[in-house]
Amino acid sequence: MSSTTTTNSSNSAPPAQDPASYFVDLLRHSSPWAAEDSHDREDEPTELNTLNSSGGFLVVSTDKLSVKYASVNLHGHDVGVIQANKPAPVKRLVYYFEIFVKSGGAKGQIAIGFTNESFKMRRQPGWEANSCGYHGDDGHLYRGQGKGEPFGPTYTTNDTVGAGINYASQEFFFTKNGVVVGAVYKETKAPLFPTVAVHSQNEEVEVNFGQRPFAFDIKEYEMQESMKQQTAIGKISVPPNVSYELVRSYLQHYGYEDTLNAFDLASKSTVPPIYIAQENGSDEQDILFALTQRKTLRQLIRNGEIDEAMSKLREWYPQILQDEKSATCFLLHSQKFIELVRVGALEEAVKYGRIELARFFDYPGFESLVQDCVALLAFEHPQESSFGYLLDDSQREIVADAVNAMILLTNPNVKDLQGCLRSHLERLLRQLTVCCLERRSLNGDQGEAFHLRRILNSGKKAKC
Amino acid sequence: MSLFWIVFRQLAEIEAMATSKKLITREEWEKKLNDVKIRKEDMNKLVMNFLVTEGYVDAAEKFQKESGTEPDIDLATITDRMAVKKAVQCGNVEDAIEKVNDLNPEILDTNPQLFFHLQQQRLIELIRNGKVEEALEFAQEELAPRGEENQSFLEELERTVALLAFEDVSNCPVGELLDISQRLKTASEVNAAILTSQSHEKDPKLPSLLKMLIWAQNQLDEKAAYPRINDLSTAMLEDPAV
Repeated sequence: MSSTTTTNSSNSAPPAQDPASYFVDLLRHSSPWAAEDSHDREDEPTELNTLNSSGGFLVVSTDKLSVKYASVNLHGHDVGVIQANKPAPVKRLVYYFEIFVKSGGAKGQIAIGFTNESFKMRRQPGWEANSCGYHGDDGHLYRGQGKGEPFGPTYTTNDTVGAGINYASQEFFFTKNGVVVGAVYKETKAPLFPTVAVHSQNEEVEVNFGQRPFAFDIKEYEMQESMKQQTAIGKISVPPNVSYELVRSYLQHYGYEDTLNAFDLASKSTVPPIYIAQENGSDEQDILFALTQRKTLRQLIRNGEIDEAMSKLREWYPQILQDEKSATCFLLHSQKFIELVRVGALEEAVKYGRIELARFFDYPGFESLVQDCVALLAFEHPQESSFGYLLDDSQREIVADAVNAMILLTNPNVKDLQGCLRSHLERLLRQLTVCCLERRSLNGDQGEAFHLRRILNSGKKAKC
Repeated sequence: MSLFWIVFRQLAEIEAMATSKKLITREEWEKKLNDVKIRKEDMNKLVMNFLVTEGYVDAAEKFQKESGTEPDIDLATITDRMAVKKAVQCGNVEDAIEKVNDLNPEILDTNPQLFFHLQQQRLIELIRNGKVEEALEFAQEELAPRGEENQSFLEELERTVALLAFEDVSNCPVGELLDISQRLKTASEVNAAILTSQSHEKDPKLPSLLKMLIWAQNQLDEKAAYPRINDLSTAMLEDPAV
């Protein structure tokens, strides 16, 4: 953006300073085109990578899920090592895979672990930096140095051994025959490949990337790990009435007056009665500002009575609708248009659109919504079209929220814009989301993603 | 690795941690906050969940109308649940037990601890009302057999019966059983059991999200300095201490 500012508000000025444009953005986000943050789907290892292995020393089966040491090992560098085709996925709590030792071969020098992309394919996992391996012949754990440390039992023919990464604790862990052997801190944040190695004649292992049930109960492990976090969170205490206060200020903020009254009435008769400190008396006044008018307008908009809402608004707060090109006007006009489409008054909709919507066509930020609105006309059953989201109840709610915020802004005592746009509850939820995202990004983007929606929709079994 | 190296590395790590704490300015943080997508309907759901779980049935009904949010439970069941809760809160335990059984007889059948606590509460109410003989009879017939099955029940029974040993119960070591808080404890236990039987979570989601916020801020404190919200009820952002 240039630093020059035009003093006269020209027609082409972007409506960026218009507080209600915030709600236009919200509407845009509710369209099916808006990318849902669902990109935490990752590829998982499914088979062994036959292209990058120490070929010559091992033979990979045709299903790429088992390996066998093919020759007689002559010296330490004749390791038959192979990685999975994909690195372990990171956007989760735990990753885990297993091997079944079909034959310990001549010396049982089998290893399981994780290695990074640049790992030298002639070495056992754990012999190189940024790798880690649990070795069958001595039961030692190797992590980056040539020498291992005592770790767990040895393993050989008929044993099932697993290796996993716990992203919450940033640890590698290993299992033998379904029991955890131990865990060790994972220093690297780089992508890691599940890796197995065989190193003496006739050693043979099968790899299980989850295509078959694991010997180890990974679900239970995962549950216990997430319980650890839940327990830590559960121990935190919050001031006793804070939830109650937040709900109350939410109802006030959005002008849900009837709910608020019922809520207040009920909380007077609870045992023990809920006591709210009244020290922030002026805040209370501000948030109650024009409550009844805000409620009335919300009801009208929610009922689709846009003309009535606009005439009331003109009567009570003429300044809000003064600028015919404001985001508030746009939202109300487009909603009116949508309501006409809803009842099938298409001709009237066309007429209305020409008079009231056409002018928004070349407005940056508005044009896509205008286009979506108009596109509704093209469908016999607009509800089922990809523009059907405009006919949702939530659409009306957003328009009502915009009007509500604009009225709050007319309060001469209003201190900050944010306070009118967002309730306390919303500010807390945003803070929560950013904290979780930020923490994860400082952790190399590893671990479970934070999804507010998932939390809100969890634990509810469809009944009734 | 020699001990020297281990110590050296740990020292280096501690030093790095002290200096590498990332500073996030208010401006950067606010931009991140603005980028978050929060749906109105999700917030409405959260509020509805609170109203329903805490039993604000009228408010839930009004909220359904005013916001179009569907409650995650049949509202009629809230009225029944609150009637049970209220009965316990007022000391009408017998009435409460009857109401629970009307709702769903399995609740008490499958939850011996809850049933014991209700019976215990009944005993407490009898003692409170000075009905000593009736209290003794009730303790012997209803509570003692259960105490024999379960050690912790037996201990609680002993504590309760001890109330009879004092002339001035307001000043005795087990006097707290007569406190209103004991009724509230029992009432919320019944409330939770009914919600569970209706396949509903027994606690509202909002308080646990608030706990999660405090936890997440504490966790992030270890790695970054950023604007925090310290007072949940005002939700004001406070600048990072540098």
